[in-house]
Amino acid sequence: MMKKQHKEQPSDVVSQLKRVQIPAIIVGVAGLGVWFLGAGSGTREQFFQTYLFAFLFWVGLPLGGLALLMLQYLTGGKWGFLIRRMLEAAAMTLPLMVLLFIPIITIGMLDLYPWADPAVVAHDTHLQFKYAYLNPGSFVFRAGFYFLIWLVWTFFLVKWGADQDRSGKPAITHRFRNLSGVGIVLYVITMTFAAFDWGMSLEPLWFSAIYGVIFIIGQGLATFAFIILMARLLADRKPFADFVSTKLYHDLGNLLLAFAILWTYMSLSQFLIIWSGNLPPETPWYIRRQAAGWNEVAVAVLVFQFVLPFFLLLNRFVKQKIQLLWKVALLIFIMRFVDLFWIIMPAFDQTVLEVHWTTYVAPIGVGGVWLFVFLEILKRRPILPLRDPIVPFPVSEGTKMQEVPGHG
Amino acid sequence: MQAGNVAKLNEQLQSDPVLAPGHTYGSIEEKINTIPLPLTKRASKGWVLGFSIAFALLMLLFYSLGVLFARGLGVWGINNPVYWGFAIINFVWWIGIGHAGTLISAILLLMQQNWRNSINRLAEAMTLFAVACAGLMPIVHMGRPWLFYWLVPYPNTMAMWPQFRSPLAWDVFAVSTYATVSLLFWLIGLVPDFAKMRDRATDRTTKILFNILSLGWRNSSRHWHRYEMAYLLLAGLSTPLVLSVHSIISLDFSVSIVPGWHMTLFPPYFVAGAVFAGFAMVLTLVIPIRKFYKLEDFVTMKHIENCCKVMLATGMIVFYGYMMELFFGWYSAHDVEFFLINNRFFGPYAWAFWALMLCNGVAPQLMWFKPLRRNLPLVWILSLVVGVGMWLERFVIVVMSLHRDYLPTSWDAYTPTFWDISLYVGTFGLFFSLMFLFIRFLPMINIFEMQLLRHDQKHQVEGGFGASEEA
Repeated sequence: MMKKQHKEQPSDVVSQLKRVQIPAIIVGVAGLGVWFLGAGSGTREQFFQTYLFAFLFWVGLPLGGLALLMLQYLTGGKWGFLIRRMLEAAAMTLPLMVLLFIPIITIGMLDLYPWADPAVVAHDTHLQFKYAYLNPGSFVFRAGFYFLIWLVWTFFLVKWGADQDRSGKPAITHRFRNLSGVGIVLYVITMTFAAFDWGMSLEPLWFSAIYGVIFIIGQGLATFAFIILMARLLADRKPFADFVSTKLYHDLGNLLLAFAILWTYMSLSQFLIIWSGNLPPETPWYIRRQAAGWNEVAVAVLVFQFVLPFFLLLNRFVKQKIQLLWKVALLIFIMRFVDLFWIIMPAFDQTVLEVHWTTYVAPIGVGGVWLFVFLEILKRRPILPLRDPIVPFPVSEGTKMQEVPGHG
Repeated sequence: MQAGNVAKLNEQLQSDPVLAPGHTYGSIEEKINTIPLPLTKRASKGWVLGFSIAFALLMLLFYSLGVLFARGLGVWGINNPVYWGFAIINFVWWIGIGHAGTLISAILLLMQQNWRNSINRLAEAMTLFAVACAGLMPIVHMGRPWLFYWLVPYPNTMAMWPQFRSPLAWDVFAVSTYATVSLLFWLIGLVPDFAKMRDRATDRTTKILFNILSLGWRNSSRHWHRYEMAYLLLAGLSTPLVLSVHSIISLDFSVSIVPGWHMTLFPPYFVAGAVFAGFAMVLTLVIPIRKFYKLEDFVTMKHIENCCKVMLATGMIVFYGYMMELFFGWYSAHDVEFFLINNRFFGPYAWAFWALMLCNGVAPQLMWFKPLRRNLPLVWILSLVVGVGMWLERFVIVVMSLHRDYLPTSWDAYTPTFWDISLYVGTFGLFFSLMFLFIRFLPMINIFEMQLLRHDQKHQVEGGFGASEEA
């Protein structure tokens, strides 16, 4: 079935995707190779720590893609129509992430999570109390459950997307809404606990109720930034070029701005409340992250992920020009790495900013592979939904934006 | 042909119009304007009855305030350790209700949601009146309300400044800014309609009155241009207020270390709760009003359904907050936090907690189903249930957390007195008296925005691929 659709695909978008795909896989394989060899000069713990950081960043794109896919079905925003296939393709990389997750739960868990070590638990009454939740068995079981939910939802959203491409029945739109309504609730719950399990429990005595929300918003922010970069890539390629307009860029720019603001809002909430309470179980998290070097990283995240993009994205001028917008998106995308770096890495007994150099290579390697798979999936399907009733005509190669009713 | 396509699509997707078909520009203005005009006409019996009840309650408010001022805070049930009783619960509850108005008028405008147009003015009025009720509470809670201006930082001979690290001082700024911007937003939105009222008025007094209020509006394109710009800027200014006001109120609790208050999720969770309660209040008001004044063509089932959906979404966020509170009560592995959860489940106020779960956790789940969202009596009852639920939430947070905290020797029960309750009931008098006056004397639906909808409908851009803002 996929092969057949491949034929309808105009070559222009595909050739552009291919152009990126080759370097992506080269960088990916090379990155992973260097990381693997380089890890030999570090410890076993460092090996997995850098890997976890890379995994947690890149798993954010498929999950952000899934969440935004459901969000655009629910809100019916017109921005969703043009980026839907990209969101779908991002979500469809989830099986790859399952594969990449296996090293963490099999050989890496003991090196990463203190609660997984019986010797540590034996000496800590708090960890004994939390054992019902924080133990290797239930950790793996929960992860399986999260992935199952995400995969099932991705499967149906993508499958019905293909159904809609064939039949264009309006009833499918209803099904999308119902599925997305339930799906977004399940996503928020599973992602919250996934963030607790995978990130927060690295420091098992520390807790913050907003931690899951910060992760979710961060994923949304990274995904929007990524989608804008993709839109830049395809902006002048048919048939995408026939449909995009300044309106789309404006909408995406606004959404990027909204998520950047939300991220700051959530992060500030956490900081202010913990700072103000000044309680021994809570403050160590920030103390570690304000140690020499780390504090500068925190300030950089604030300035380059929020302050600067905020003022840039207030301008209509920036939002409506993809040539400018993608630069802001790239800045935010890079800062998402830095932010996650600041959240995850100090958990591993950091007194000063001193991480193994492979920390910077691992995400590049994983990212290259991820990007290759993502582009491969994106390439195999039409870049736009063919028969969504939101567009009252079938999309095909020759359709121009000028012919769309109501669009002037 | 294209127009037919869009209509067919709407039909296929079974979505209701935001304005029932068959209206002309004239009929819209006629319908909305004749509710308040002429100002001197006799009010309907139903209005007189409703206003009388509201006015009686307003008198109860004044009486309760009189008793409070004469005899002091001792007439209330607050004690040590429950220093914050009904006054703070009511403050948070009322100001939360206001948030729906701001969300509808500002955020939905920026998001180009045209269904906001027929309910925005009513919701903005609701915001103003709710803020009035809310603002009263902390002031009368001060004990010496005549010294309330000490909260404002100004150079004084006592060399005394507010504690700037306290969110209670931030509240002063947050709430007063909120009240100011909401008032401006509402008034500016009214100017073109004041002009319409002026033009329609038959008697001299009304003409002069609306002439002043309409600020010399002459419908010139320059006026419209400036109006649109001002309105958009105000919307931009109001948007952060939707988040900031209730976030700061949540910080009143969460910056302390009282178990049940000190939780990092509080700001977004409070904001969602505010919008949740606010939309419930919008539905509580709109459903009877649209029936009584036969406004079904303007406030269609689409509005009702959308309000229900917002309620469902924000209700789910609030419920997420409850679940996180419970989870972290356990996960924190802190005995005081754990005790709090236990106390919520089985303590002396457990009834409030379980009623809260029922009102805010279980009941809104009915909104998942389209036939139930379209069942007006059910939706109306549900909106009341949510209103009660949100009040209970603040009761659970304020009273349950304070009455048993770290030091068991200072535990005490809290029981509201008659004057606590009468003051709360009295604020309904203030709220509804203002509401009745608003409905009687001002156009409660934005006339020109409805006419704009009619324009879009005629040219069939609504729901099409290119958005209507380009038309």
